[in-house]
Amino acid sequence: MIPRMRFDFWTGVLLLALAVIAVLLVWPLSSIMTASFIDNRTGAATLGNYARVLGQPFFQDALINSMIVGVGGMLGAMALGIPLAVLTTRYVIRGRDMLATLAVLALVSPPFIGAYAWIMMLGRNGFVRLPLEELGVPVPPIYGLFGILLVFSLKFYPFVFLLASSSLRTINPSVEEAAEGLGAGAWRRFFKVTLPLVFPAVSAGALLTFVLSIADFGTPAIVGGRVRVLATTAYNLFTSEMTGNPGLASATSMVLIVVSLIVVALQRWSVGRRNVAGAMVRKPVPKYLGPFASAAAHIVCYGIVLVSSLPSLVVIYTSFRKTRGPVFQAGFGFESYERILREVPHVISNSAVYSLVSVALIVILGTLIGYILARRESPMAGALDGALLVPYIVPGVVLGLAFVVTFNVKPLELTGSATIIVLMLFIRRLPYAVRSSASILKQIKGSIEEAAISLGAAPGRAFLKITLPLMIPGVVAGALMSFITAINELSSSLILYVGRTMTMPVRIYLSVLDGEFGTAAALSTILLGATGLAVYAVFWVSGRNESAFV
Amino acid sequence: MSRVDLQHINKSYPGVKALDDVDLTVNSGEFFTLLGPSGCGKTTLLRAVAGFNTHDSGRILVDGKRIDNVPAHRRNIGMVYQDYAIFPHMTVADNVGFGLAMRRRPRQEIAERVARVLDLVQLGGHAQRMPHELSGGQQQRVALARAMVINPQILLMDEPLSNLDAKLRVELRDDIRDLQRSLGITTIYVTHDQEEALVISDRICIMQSGRVHQIGGPQEVYARPATLFVASFVGAMNVMPDLPVGQGGEIKLGDGGCTVQALAGRGTVTLAIRPEDVVLRARPDKAVVLGGAVDKVTFAGREAFYRLTCDGDRRVLAHVYRPDQGQLESAGVRVDLAFPLARLHFFDPADGRRIEASP
Ligand SMILES: Nc1ncnc2c1ncn2[C@@H]1O[C@H](COP(=O)(O)OP(=O)(O)OP(=O)(O)O)[C@@H](O)[C@H]1O
Ligand SMILES: [Mg+2]
Repeated sequence: MIPRMRFDFWTGVLLLALAVIAVLLVWPLSSIMTASFIDNRTGAATLGNYARVLGQPFFQDALINSMIVGVGGMLGAMALGIPLAVLTTRYVIRGRDMLATLAVLALVSPPFIGAYAWIMMLGRNGFVRLPLEELGVPVPPIYGLFGILLVFSLKFYPFVFLLASSSLRTINPSVEEAAEGLGAGAWRRFFKVTLPLVFPAVSAGALLTFVLSIADFGTPAIVGGRVRVLATTAYNLFTSEMTGNPGLASATSMVLIVVSLIVVALQRWSVGRRNVAGAMVRKPVPKYLGPFASAAAHIVCYGIVLVSSLPSLVVIYTSFRKTRGPVFQAGFGFESYERILREVPHVISNSAVYSLVSVALIVILGTLIGYILARRESPMAGALDGALLVPYIVPGVVLGLAFVVTFNVKPLELTGSATIIVLMLFIRRLPYAVRSSASILKQIKGSIEEAAISLGAAPGRAFLKITLPLMIPGVVAGALMSFITAINELSSSLILYVGRTMTMPVRIYLSVLDGEFGTAAALSTILLGATGLAVYAVFWVSGRNESAFV
Repeated sequence: MSRVDLQHINKSYPGVKALDDVDLTVNSGEFFTLLGPSGCGKTTLLRAVAGFNTHDSGRILVDGKRIDNVPAHRRNIGMVYQDYAIFPHMTVADNVGFGLAMRRRPRQEIAERVARVLDLVQLGGHAQRMPHELSGGQQQRVALARAMVINPQILLMDEPLSNLDAKLRVELRDDIRDLQRSLGITTIYVTHDQEEALVISDRICIMQSGRVHQIGGPQEVYARPATLFVASFVGAMNVMPDLPVGQGGEIKLGDGGCTVQALAGRGTVTLAIRPEDVVLRARPDKAVVLGGAVDKVTFAGREAFYRLTCDGDRRVLAHVYRPDQGQLESAGVRVDLAFPLARLHFFDPADGRRIEASP
């Protein structure tokens, strides 16, 4: 008789969520896992793929390069992000808000745009390389590890910056003063008190940049040159007509998943131990620096942020240059925009439609699942929470491959359709919405909704009438974030697209490969514009809170 | 007006028994208080009645009908929370009218009933305010109005006063009591404040670790605590644990002693007496009288508090009323203290249960 389980609205949502995860995550990933154990020619079960991936120098290089890129991207992001955070929170830096906004814009603009803008600047005929070389400044070749690390450092430092500054801002100055009163000098104070307090936030940001670096496909594909990483290797193995080998591609993907898994586990562990938020009695007040120190601090801060904004400026500038075909002419004009409107108008509408549809789905299901995770403790909700970590771990290339492997046969033959791209965007970004709605809900007292229920509102109704209206600002911010990431998605779309379903990032990537820099720049500018608008809207609904972006 | 029967309710969380065979009846129209220290299961029990917790076993009946399987929103129970739980995005009137809207009452009726209940809680002029424009005490009045306006069969309140400051607490406490009386709503009230419980309740249920220790009227639980726990939780109590008892029921305390026949045959007994029952200087009949010394005196106007030592190093507290009418002892002075036999409480040291000693 008792205990009993009531089948209500939320049970239905839970079951729906589990079904979605089973179909869109568990099934594709188990397909790719199975494929990694199958010999490409004979179709027999084998460990040969793994033997090759872990044994052959070709693959070992890719693995090593991925690690270099991950660690390098992480260190670069820290080297830029930590000084920026310390300077802007501890000292008076003019235009701090603008710096933060530019950092956010650098963060949300797609990395492949940065990659190709840097090629235009530092490539063989780059307009920055030539003058520098004339001055006798040696510039390393952009193609290769240097280019990848440059792009990653400038792209991902805002994570470290935003996490570290919000953590620095919550350190009660009394704590540091107390340390001073106990006889600790400036350096000891920084290393013994301040650093341990911000370390959890910084390390979480750093590990996040590691995961994003090894998962990124567009940057190494565009500026990698002959440097192969796991993500590009898996993609090439899968798509190339001549040497295509799904088994080997799957095994490579599994290795990539395992590496990310280890790092994400590390990150969760470090975040889990992050519990330093104390009672905020006093807020730290930024200090004034002397004139020289202040000038130096401003140069460092503005230098970092402006260099990281350079790619966007270059792209926008390039898009308005006069062109004839793929060749740039002197002067300005709208030829690039005319060309995309004439030749590929559908990629713009595709991008808009796919992102909006997937965001709508993400918001609806993400909000409901967030609710279950925040309010309903049950073993099934725990399973759901765990399953939603998977998209954080699985790089876009890998999930794209998994979708192709899985949804190319009846009953769910989706390859080549718009649906498959929407579903991919949906499942990849769902966890972000779930997490943001769960965290808003944790700030809304549960008793409010219970009060509504005891006043006679059924649980679903109580949610709609009471909790949902209170969640709206957070949900809208989450939706905009999902939109930004969805419209900029390259890696998985590149695997899933066919001519009809091409999106802007895919077209940009292909144009860059073809040397069509003008159309690439025009499409990129449109993407940047949409992204910038969304960022502005996030600021607007979240009351200028940069940490909404991390 | 409804009667509530809780029959053998059990509830375990991993590692804790939150409710241990709770069995009690709340009479129709009664103001019934659950009192106990933090973590004793008060909220768990209240939420089981409200329908937000499931229990592992046992039955809950309202007017003889089982409600265990009725979902919370169909129970017609009003609930008032410690943190007010006001809907922050709705006006006071919309908050209060919410339950009626859920019951699809006509608009006209809702407006009238809301206005009437807001007058009752003295918020007549505040109907169109937003919650953040109200003080904590006013918000809690809104919550009270919101719970009462639906004419609930039962009103549940979980520490509704503990977020308020001392003065408001007393004021609202009296208002709650008056309203409940005049409307006659069966009310289950949770608090860990024993004084509040004594003032407000028809009957009090004292709980500890998920178990019910005693149910009774305020005077009864104060004067005749059923267990040592109740004795020390409700009001103050001097406790003298594990005193040896002679064959005939003789107890020795310092240089004094007494004989209590009811204790004959027991090895030991725990003795307790309230500070206000301790008599200084006088030597009443039928009392244990022993010598002691004053450690500390605190004068508080209406009364004075003594801390004394007797029988070696035994600490005893004594309250003296109207100290201005007598002479205050000062620290270091030796005095005789007397424990009138009729005022002594005896408890079994093994299980803490009360031993009835007086004829
Ligand atoms: N959801 C839960 N999961 C696990 N244990 C719980 C849960 N809710 C309550 N408990 C435990 O059950 C016991 C009773 O809790 P309850 O909230 O009923 O106490 P309470 O008497 O209301 O205390 P307080 O005066 O602090 O509100 C406590 O030991 C508590 O830790
Ligand atoms: Mg409680």
